[in-house]
Amino acid sequence: MVQNIIVSPSPHIRKHHSTQSVMLDVIIGLVPAMTAAVIFFRLRAVLVVGACVISCVIFERLCNLVRKRPSSIGDLSAVVTGIILASSLPPSMPVWACIIGSGFAIIIGKMVFGGLGSNIFNPAMAGRCFLTACFGTMMTTWTVPATIDPNMPKIGEVRTASVPAALTQATPLALSKEAIKSRPAFRRGLAFGGAGGQGTKAATVNSIFNYMFVGEVGGCLGETSALALIIGGIYLLIKGTIGYIIPAAVLVSAFICASIGWLIDPQYYIAPWVHLAGGGLLIGAFFIATDPVSAPLTKKGMWIFGAGVGAMTMLIRIVGEYPEGVMFAVLLMNSLTPLIDRLTKLTPTGGMANA
Amino acid sequence: MLSQHIGAICKPVVNKKDRVTAGQLIGIADGFVSAPVHSPVNGTVKDITLCSHPVLGRAEAIIIESGEDNQPRRPCADKFGNSFDAGRFLPEQIFDAVRRAGIVGMGGAGFPTSVKIRANPSSPIHTVIINGCECEPFITCDYRIMLEWTNQIIAGALLIGRALDCKDIFIGIEDNKPKAVDAFRQAVKDMPAAAGIEVVAVKTKYPQGGERHLIKSILNKDVPAGGIPPMIGVLVNNVATAAAIAEAVIFDSPLTYRPVTVSGSGIKKVGNFYVPVGMAAGELIELAGGLTDDAVKIILGGPMMGFAVADLSTPITKTSGAITILTEKETGGSRMRGKETPCIRCGRCVEVCPVNLIPTVIAHAVRHNLLEAAEQYYMSACTECGCCSYICPADIELAGFIKTGKILVARQKKLMPK
Repeated sequence: MVQNIIVSPSPHIRKHHSTQSVMLDVIIGLVPAMTAAVIFFRLRAVLVVGACVISCVIFERLCNLVRKRPSSIGDLSAVVTGIILASSLPPSMPVWACIIGSGFAIIIGKMVFGGLGSNIFNPAMAGRCFLTACFGTMMTTWTVPATIDPNMPKIGEVRTASVPAALTQATPLALSKEAIKSRPAFRRGLAFGGAGGQGTKAATVNSIFNYMFVGEVGGCLGETSALALIIGGIYLLIKGTIGYIIPAAVLVSAFICASIGWLIDPQYYIAPWVHLAGGGLLIGAFFIATDPVSAPLTKKGMWIFGAGVGAMTMLIRIVGEYPEGVMFAVLLMNSLTPLIDRLTKLTPTGGMANA
Repeated sequence: MLSQHIGAICKPVVNKKDRVTAGQLIGIADGFVSAPVHSPVNGTVKDITLCSHPVLGRAEAIIIESGEDNQPRRPCADKFGNSFDAGRFLPEQIFDAVRRAGIVGMGGAGFPTSVKIRANPSSPIHTVIINGCECEPFITCDYRIMLEWTNQIIAGALLIGRALDCKDIFIGIEDNKPKAVDAFRQAVKDMPAAAGIEVVAVKTKYPQGGERHLIKSILNKDVPAGGIPPMIGVLVNNVATAAAIAEAVIFDSPLTYRPVTVSGSGIKKVGNFYVPVGMAAGELIELAGGLTDDAVKIILGGPMMGFAVADLSTPITKTSGAITILTEKETGGSRMRGKETPCIRCGRCVEVCPVNLIPTVIAHAVRHNLLEAAEQYYMSACTECGCCSYICPADIELAGFIKTGKILVARQKKLMPK
């Protein structure tokens, strides 16, 4: 009789990959963006990313212990959540706030639902949403990239209350928002201060497209460099870690929606390609909306989901009150995912014989 | 083995200690959808008892101790020349010969061939496809016979066409076997009666050998899920089955031998063997040089759909095209440790499913015993190809859950005993 023979259901061969290797790929895909963040924001970037990643992993382990479950930190999903959360925070975010955000992301955003695979919302976006609601000012204070201002403090000296004006800068999208709000039609209702000339801000934003592409602008840590995000996104697409559908749907629908505003009034609305390079749209398209857990399963569902994220982002950016809308767009579409899945249920090839 | 096919189990017609000769009928078909069993060797009936079965677990079998005076049976392919003409056989004659010979689908499904090739006026067959695509990776027995038994397979194809009065015959071969494609194109050219046969090279991909996928590739037609190809007027037969049909009709010899691929890194000598049906897997493994030290899994069939066995007395059946012996490395490490992680809804299983199902949802429903929900997601349409389990990064036994679910549903509907 033979020894040590294993009997299990077919198939008996497997592709050599795992949830861990998928997550590792995402982390590798985020390396260019992280590198850009360190180049532009120096030690602030290291602090914020480090705080988020370490606290995410610790919170996940604590939840495992409380639930008396085996450790799940090995799947690296907490690391991904930490990096994405950090990427979506301003560089001046204090470390304690990063820890609070990470705690919310992991505990409320993921573990209370049952851990990886069961969460309804993207955990990183849930954490960021919580921080936006709690610390609005901190979340909208932007530091100038270190490459522009050599005097930028290397360690966390920036405090929200007394930030020297020279060290902060409005993000391109905030400028865009001001431009939109200064539009005559808009001003009538809002009694917005300041005479004309605000419209030139749209032109200003358009003119700094090159800087936005490279990432030398104010903004969230990992979001500023369009180039780095595109490199990371292409890596994930080539590796097959993410499908092309969600990024394509997000970007195309955002481009179309941005074009509508731009065609109506290019003086006040910034160009669609500037919209794509600005804010969190690229990181959203490649790294956040593609989070498989909170996105639909079917191809058709993915198109609907992605298009919804793109359109909703633009709706918030152009019509809404906030300058940036990726976070809300993703969370909103996350909540619609079960519905989309249900509506896009597949039917077997050839139809059912006995149906 | 008295159950080597889909349908009613055979009734034994020999008793313990009876002497049997090669080709003697030992189990008669009990019902229309059934196929008789013959002894492959001269010998003595040792016992009629339950025995390890690759698919059913345990099933009734007639155990024959092989006598001294056995000559190995030789393939009869060299007796087939270019001048074959199926016209001299009547459809009824062909049906009878195939039924008598106990031929079943040798690609793996094991549906009695006689039932398939009996003309049914209410659903006429307009196209016959001979399936020359290997069922699974690792298996090469179909390739081997396509090269060596070319004329015999074509003769079988013509006989099927004759039995069903069907002129459109295709032979589908995967495009990684250009030699087989050339051999068939040449043979068809040389054989006047085979003028109507078209040899088609199809893309090499698993599960191309599944009949609905082959039909899609060749005719671009879909077979409804839960339905069978004759519903759209198509019949698919494996090359080995076609060869067996030719042998049965022309030489009236029963199906008692078949080609089997022995492969995988866990075996010392990889090869194709022409073996008696009923031979114990262990015996064949010995013939192939035995297991290597790092062999961890013995599979009757291929790596994707075969059945892992622990009992080496499990016999080769009419449907076993292969024995695959895998090492730990080949089985992909992690599944050995049984480390399933949660589904991250990545959708890879949905992407690879050849019949457009959502395996993860079905498997999840089965896990929680929600069979109705699983049915609503068309669990019954699953062809059990195993692609979903193969691709799953979380190492979930998706195909395993779905197969379990199908069995549970069948039990609920009392189609299957417990």
